[in-house]
Amino acid sequence: MDINVSGAKIFFEIDIFGLTIKITQTAVSLLAVTILLITAAYFLGKNLKKRPGKLQVITEKLVTMLYNMVEDTMGKHNAKFAPYIGTLFLSSIIGTLLGMTQIFRSTTADLSVTLAWALVTSVMVWYSNIKNFGFKAWLKGFTEPIVVMTPMNIVSEIAQPISLAFRHFGNVAGGGVLTSLVYAALSMISSIVFGWLPGLLGEIPFFTAGIPAFLSIYFDLFSGFVQALVFSLLTMVYVGSANPPPEDIAPESNNA
Amino acid sequence: MRVVLDQFEAFVGVNFFTMIFAWINLVILYVFLKKLLFKPVKKMIDSRQQEIDDMYSEAESSRESANEMKAEYEEKIAKANEESEDILRRAQRRAELREEEILKEANVKAARVLERAEEQIELEKKQAINDVKDEVSSIAIDIAEAVIERDINKADHDALIDEFIDKLGESV
Repeated sequence: MDINVSGAKIFFEIDIFGLTIKITQTAVSLLAVTILLITAAYFLGKNLKKRPGKLQVITEKLVTMLYNMVEDTMGKHNAKFAPYIGTLFLSSIIGTLLGMTQIFRSTTADLSVTLAWALVTSVMVWYSNIKNFGFKAWLKGFTEPIVVMTPMNIVSEIAQPISLAFRHFGNVAGGGVLTSLVYAALSMISSIVFGWLPGLLGEIPFFTAGIPAFLSIYFDLFSGFVQALVFSLLTMVYVGSANPPPEDIAPESNNA
Repeated sequence: MRVVLDQFEAFVGVNFFTMIFAWINLVILYVFLKKLLFKPVKKMIDSRQQEIDDMYSEAESSRESANEMKAEYEEKIAKANEESEDILRRAQRRAELREEEILKEANVKAARVLERAEEQIELEKKQAINDVKDEVSSIAIDIAEAVIERDINKADHDALIDEFIDKLGESV
């Protein structure tokens, strides 16, 4: 029995300016997530009332939770990051859950996507550091606490987005691989146990019914939620530490 | 554009176009979710919070003013009670004075009436005595005339009768 572990399926190849652009399953999934979320946001965000209905209460509760989380992790002065964190979290979790449909591939099971998001986090951190402390102070930060540490600091700065990207990608993709392995194993056991049944009946993989659903609950629902949370939380922590409260910035920039 | 069949990317690999596509999607999602969902919902929550705060502070201030008014009214009522008691007390005193006065006046009047009545009685008594005297004297004269058949001097006559009556009175 062959088990194929591969990346996203390539649908089209477009040649422009000597480059070959591959349009993959992931791109389609990303578009689906965008359309889904914008549609949901449109229906949840319109007709907001002072006296809310059930749906509005839930929406408000979730938005309040998001803002509270951002304010607790990053500080009240960083509340402006909440919409981005919310967008990142929703993109991640919906992107992961989309894989459950079996029509689309999870967007987060593609390293390109998680790496793109992780680089956004890094760029935000770098931009915030330079904006708040100045370019010189940012560069000087690599030589601290002693000059010898500079290569280490640079490595850790590069490792940060990579670890962020691989953590998310690895969890979702690994879950998918594991699910397909279990699926294959169950079919094999099925054919051994029920192979003696006559005709078509012997070919039905009975064991694959039910058991993979529990795996899916863990790898898609639980892991998807946890990874979305971890990714958002780490982004909050990194960006938050690059944006300390305004009263803490003034003395440090004087030292620089 | 080529349609590719049954070709897959590497399991662990980076496709730069997918990254660009992820960024584009992220930016679009950020803009739309912020505009359609996060901003309006947050605004609604904040405005409701503001409204609740306003209502509470308004309730607090109206409670304060109500308390103030209550104190004011209580003071007024107390003052009014005092005043009414005062009025009542004064009226009572005046009534007592007036009663005394009336009583005194009535007494005086009664005394006068009594006095006058006594005077009247005295006068009438005198009159009656005089009348009786006259009557008796004239009867006596008539009797005497009849007895002695002669006219005596009128003055002597009267004196005689008076004497007689006085004696009569003493004996009575």
